[in-house]
Amino acid sequence: MALARYIGRKLVWTLVVFVVALLLNFLLPRLIPGNPVDAIVGQLAAGGGAGGEQLQQIHEQYMKEFGLDKPLWQQFFIYVGNVFQGDLGTSFAQYPASVNTLISQALPWSLAIMLPAIIVGWLVGNLLGAVAAFKGGWLDRGAFIGSLFLSSVPPFALAIILLFLVAVRGGILPVGGAYSFGLTPEFSLAFFGDAITYWWLPFWSLVLVYIGGQAVGMRSMAIYELGSDYVNYNRGLGVKEGHTVRYIFRNAMLPQFTGLALSIAALITGGLITELVFSYPGLGSLLFSAIGTNDYPVISAITLIITIAVLIANLAADILTGFIDPRIRAVQSGER
Amino acid sequence: MSLRGLSPRFWVAVVLVAFVVLVGLVGPLIVSTNPDATVGGLYDEPRCCGPLMLGADNEGQSVIANLVYGTRTSLIIGLIAGLIGTAIGLLVGLVAGYRGGWLDDVLSAIVNVGLAIPVLVIVILVSVSLPQRNLYTLALVIGFTGWFWVARAVRAQSSSIRTREHIDVAKLSGAGFWSILRRDVLPYLLSYVVMACILQISSAILFESTLSMLGLGASNTTSLGTMLYWAIQWGSVRTGAWWAFIPPTVMLTLIVFSLLLLQSSLNEVFNPRLRRGRAARKKAVKEGTELETSVEADDAGPVGSGGFLETPVSAGQDR
Amino acid sequence: MGTLVNAENIRGVYYTEGKDVVAVDDVSIKIEEGEVLGLAGESGSGKTTLGSIISLIARPPLHVEHGTLEIDGQVQELGGHAKIPRTWRGAVVSMLPQGAMNSVSPTKRIRHLIYDVMRSHDSKISKDEALDRAKERLTTLGLPVRVLDAYPHQLSGGMKQRTVTIISTLLNPRLLVADEPTSALDVTSQKILIEMLLEMLEKRIMSGVIFVTHDLPVLRTAANRIAVMYQGKIIELGPTEIVVERPEHPYTQALMSSVLAPEPAYANTRIEGMSSFDRSLFDAPAVIH
Repeated sequence: MALARYIGRKLVWTLVVFVVALLLNFLLPRLIPGNPVDAIVGQLAAGGGAGGEQLQQIHEQYMKEFGLDKPLWQQFFIYVGNVFQGDLGTSFAQYPASVNTLISQALPWSLAIMLPAIIVGWLVGNLLGAVAAFKGGWLDRGAFIGSLFLSSVPPFALAIILLFLVAVRGGILPVGGAYSFGLTPEFSLAFFGDAITYWWLPFWSLVLVYIGGQAVGMRSMAIYELGSDYVNYNRGLGVKEGHTVRYIFRNAMLPQFTGLALSIAALITGGLITELVFSYPGLGSLLFSAIGTNDYPVISAITLIITIAVLIANLAADILTGFIDPRIRAVQSGER
Repeated sequence: MSLRGLSPRFWVAVVLVAFVVLVGLVGPLIVSTNPDATVGGLYDEPRCCGPLMLGADNEGQSVIANLVYGTRTSLIIGLIAGLIGTAIGLLVGLVAGYRGGWLDDVLSAIVNVGLAIPVLVIVILVSVSLPQRNLYTLALVIGFTGWFWVARAVRAQSSSIRTREHIDVAKLSGAGFWSILRRDVLPYLLSYVVMACILQISSAILFESTLSMLGLGASNTTSLGTMLYWAIQWGSVRTGAWWAFIPPTVMLTLIVFSLLLLQSSLNEVFNPRLRRGRAARKKAVKEGTELETSVEADDAGPVGSGGFLETPVSAGQDR
Repeated sequence: MGTLVNAENIRGVYYTEGKDVVAVDDVSIKIEEGEVLGLAGESGSGKTTLGSIISLIARPPLHVEHGTLEIDGQVQELGGHAKIPRTWRGAVVSMLPQGAMNSVSPTKRIRHLIYDVMRSHDSKISKDEALDRAKERLTTLGLPVRVLDAYPHQLSGGMKQRTVTIISTLLNPRLLVADEPTSALDVTSQKILIEMLLEMLEKRIMSGVIFVTHDLPVLRTAANRIAVMYQGKIIELGPTEIVVERPEHPYTQALMSSVLAPEPAYANTRIEGMSSFDRSLFDAPAVIH
């Protein structure tokens, strides 16, 4: 029962944060003094991106969608309504493409590099950290410095270096994009084979940094646990090492789960920039071009998606921790 | 805290940080070229030993001049944003933790919301809406959005310090709220604050470069991030003009790495519990430098968050 | 009553960067069957170190340079790179750690620990058998069986300490080394714990107890003999009444006179302070009663 209540609280909390995020997504771009649409359309015109009639259409569309003549709170509800219907608006720069289309084209690529990077990075990183902590000695020192370095290298820095060394100078892997020129994305083996070569470098840039980060964290936690009283007590009672190790792991892993959620946010951020470096057509590149053209609906939509992803990750991590650590549930439900 | 407790790692970190600061401080004086002056053609190759020592960038400007000025800019932004962030986090955390009550509830709720929403999202949204973006507005934005984790950690600690006896003594002798905070609570947090500040600075520098690479950087000054932005925009990587992107990358990595190294070695000094071995820790406990709520494990800051220092990979949270 | 444990020539040194600290300086001691030997002294006297050496859990940076332990006719070398059989721990000599609070992993239920302990010494034992034995022990000593299902944080301090005491003696060790078992407890819980220890001794669950503590009043009620340690050496050893009431070594005298006992006889006694304090007084030769 404590668990159910705990999960319930976390859900409610997530919803609250989501609402705040929606508010921010809505309000912040509208903080520009003056009619945003005028400013935006003016910029579009100045940038030579769209012609006179198109500008007029954009202007009307935007005014209509957001009902800028209506009071702000009403606009907010229209916005929320749209979001919940899955309508994220229409793009400015790529008018009349809908934001949904653009995002659905870009999202799979981003997921393709980020999801495997998170999973592999987390598993390998934690394993490495734990082994280093247990073995100690040179392995530990080397692994620690190495991981520290990898984790403090900004992902895009690693991306740039990898790109340069492997692709440009080494010529081993392609330099940019997601698939070879002339091919169209499809679910065929041939396409996958080609796309994979483009996938390697972005994936490695992310995964290496992530491994570094996890290893450092896990190592600290494992060292901490290794010196704890219960390990000593177990040893004093002649408990086999194998049994104790399982519990060291469990205790050391706990914070890593919480950390997982937070570092997902970090990974996403790093991933966005990495995409830029590799001209990988994911959300990062989309965001980049949207910023460059002041395409507010797209920017807004992407930030919202990022927020949702992080919130879900946080919630999942919290629930998982609740399952594993009995104290958390106890604290939350006031048992102590 | 004896000097003997400072590991070689610490000294390496100090040297690296000092080097970077020197580049930013003194560099512009040594490299007398104006970073905005055209000294060559598009991506001219490096030539010893004048302004083209690291070649020219996409506008024909001296890379080394831009590098040096860019380092300075990035450092300034990092410093300002880091200090602002630490200060706000410290203040909010102190008041919330020590005061308790409804004030604590309100502040904690704000902090938790702030922690839940990815900082990048907020920063992007705010930056995009700014009418103009310069060095200082950028620093302010980064500073004002990055303090949440500091507040949470400080709050945890100050609320445990609140129950210690010397606080009662201070209250009994009539000391006021702010006086107690300043003289009886703050000193205990000092070591943590120092480390948090280092992390804030390094995370702010990373943030700035990320923003710049996305095109949201300062519009009138060169920073390491803007150098990379232009390097990517103009395809320097593809054409192999390594001097356009390797120097700023190396510089950025150096800064971040050295700051993190500094923080982690300081962590071991301030929190002897992280040292290996139970006897070492028992010895450390005897030495008396113990921070409550195990700082080294909880909320130790944005270490190891996979290269992008957004929020702490917090171990153990509010156990 | 014969000798249960004979510990000889134990020397324990902490190797730290800088200098080596000799914590136990060539100590020999015998523990008799059925007795509680109190090991008293101030912080840094070496009593805890001696306790951990005897309970076979010494590890770096603590190095046992030499020493032997003789139990039931078997001699175990402690010094240098001696290999101490894992199965001795917990079954021959067992430890009762200080601060039972953290001695059980917070994410583990008590019964898990019990099962782990039992199957580490008897790989064929089943979970049910192990728990049955534990339940039996718990009821014999008057503890509720429900503690088995509890997580550590769900138990009170006193209850935790008693539960850990039972876990430490599940395998019926010959000797139990208790390190400050009462220090974190309130007076009532202390009394209950000591009574439990004595009851266990009587029931021959274990055959001897070393009670390490700095808390002298506790030793008066718990120990048969007291060994006082100072700077790594035993400077006085003898039956409790003698050591407490008629100590002969200057250090023991100073120690005992610093304790306030709320008894009528002491109503008119002053505590003697030491004006010009001369620690070399304490270097007087050891007194063995």
